[in-house]
Amino acid sequence: MLSDPVISFQQVWKKYSKQQALNNSLREELFSVITGRKSREELAAGEFWALKDISFSVKKGECIGLYGPNGSGKSTILKLISNVTYPTKGAIGVKGRVAPLIELGAGMHPDLTGIENIYMNGTILGLTIKELKRKIPEIVEFSGLDDFINVPVKKYSSGMYLRLAFSIAVHSPADIFLFDEVLAVGDDNFQAKCLERIELIMKNNGTILVVSHDGVALKSLCDDIISLKSGAAIY
Amino acid sequence: MIRRLYAYKDLLLVFIWREFLIRYKQTAIGVLWAILQPVSLMMLFTFIFGVVLKTTQKEYPYTLFYFAGVLPWTFFSGATNFSVTSLSGNFNLVTKIYFPREIIPLSGVAINFIDYLIGLVVYFLLLLCYGIPLTWNILWLFPLLVMLVLYTTSISLLLAALNVYYRDVKLASTFLLQFLFFATPVIYSIDRVENRWKTLLFLNPLTFIVENMRRVTIEGRGIVLWQIAAEMAGILILYFVIYRIFIRIERAFADVI
Repeated sequence: MLSDPVISFQQVWKKYSKQQALNNSLREELFSVITGRKSREELAAGEFWALKDISFSVKKGECIGLYGPNGSGKSTILKLISNVTYPTKGAIGVKGRVAPLIELGAGMHPDLTGIENIYMNGTILGLTIKELKRKIPEIVEFSGLDDFINVPVKKYSSGMYLRLAFSIAVHSPADIFLFDEVLAVGDDNFQAKCLERIELIMKNNGTILVVSHDGVALKSLCDDIISLKSGAAIY
Repeated sequence: MIRRLYAYKDLLLVFIWREFLIRYKQTAIGVLWAILQPVSLMMLFTFIFGVVLKTTQKEYPYTLFYFAGVLPWTFFSGATNFSVTSLSGNFNLVTKIYFPREIIPLSGVAINFIDYLIGLVVYFLLLLCYGIPLTWNILWLFPLLVMLVLYTTSISLLLAALNVYYRDVKLASTFLLQFLFFATPVIYSIDRVENRWKTLLFLNPLTFIVENMRRVTIEGRGIVLWQIAAEMAGILILYFVIYRIFIRIERAFADVI
């Protein structure tokens, strides 16, 4: 059982368009509602492959690093795992709850207080209201924001903002955690706390994917590293 | 839809709660806005059409006539207006995390519905004040409310989805709503419209809903069964078609937004 892959990519290709005008794509989608046909698999003008023939699998409890320069397709892989977008070709299998910590605090609203944003971001990450009620003291403590938790987050410094977002994220009861360039959160003190937390997740058999262009940090943290270059994996 | 949203019911609740909070944060009178908006519109219409132009629509008080029309209209226009930009405005969520996308426009429909219910309470108080006798026909209000919510939801989902692709939708919807306002019997009664225009006006489901809301509350009359059945069937078909399309194109939102 333990060796069953929780994430598997089989010859995954993903196409993106460079153009702003996307009238074609709506027409295609509507057309396929009627005909049930899949979208075109070849490139049209102004399109490019963001991922080319990517295959890999991740086992439960593993920590995998995705390494590569900007625009190499790292974040696209995370988006495919978290179901935000779909592959053009190939198959993806994901087993378990995914907590996509892609850009922290995407669900934060500046006018809401820290607590209110914990509810907002927490439910976006798949927690129930009941679970959140129980976990709030723990989340607040981890963030170290006790004095500011009832203040609208627009008054937070950017460091406080990220600390809150990260605290919510790591308390999600997911099986698979996706981190996108979030290793550089807060001061040294908080960073140490984060790394500790990531190690705890690994110890509890959580699966982790980390995206970074900091190769050294990745090597010390991950079991295995997939290197990407302009959409293709290099081994 | 229910099966799809059940797993995300907490997220939907928090979204509704969030929109409600944001709406009345840093406002001095808060939820009173839900009453103030339709009441001031009603007073404006009563003044212009009742006092200045001296038009007569029905034999009962102007205030009731206009308030009965303004309430469902405010709900419809408020919800659709919110929804149009709801997906494109929340692109940072749409491109980062997966959840059923309809949750965002639906939360807009929901908060406007809360406002609408508050307005309905005021409406019933007004009915009492004017001593309008309430009959059992008032129960027709429930199917009418269901129709109004379903229709508003359909249009909201459609506009929200289209605006992801074409921002023209936002610009067009502003004046389309103005057209629709005049095509809905808010400031006039359908009984005073020539027969040849009536058919055209009834193509707009809001016409049927608004007219009959007055009929079952103020006039205490019932609705012809086949009429409401036909309208309901039409609205349900529209809803299923739009929802199906929405789910189909939802997959691509993150890529095109």
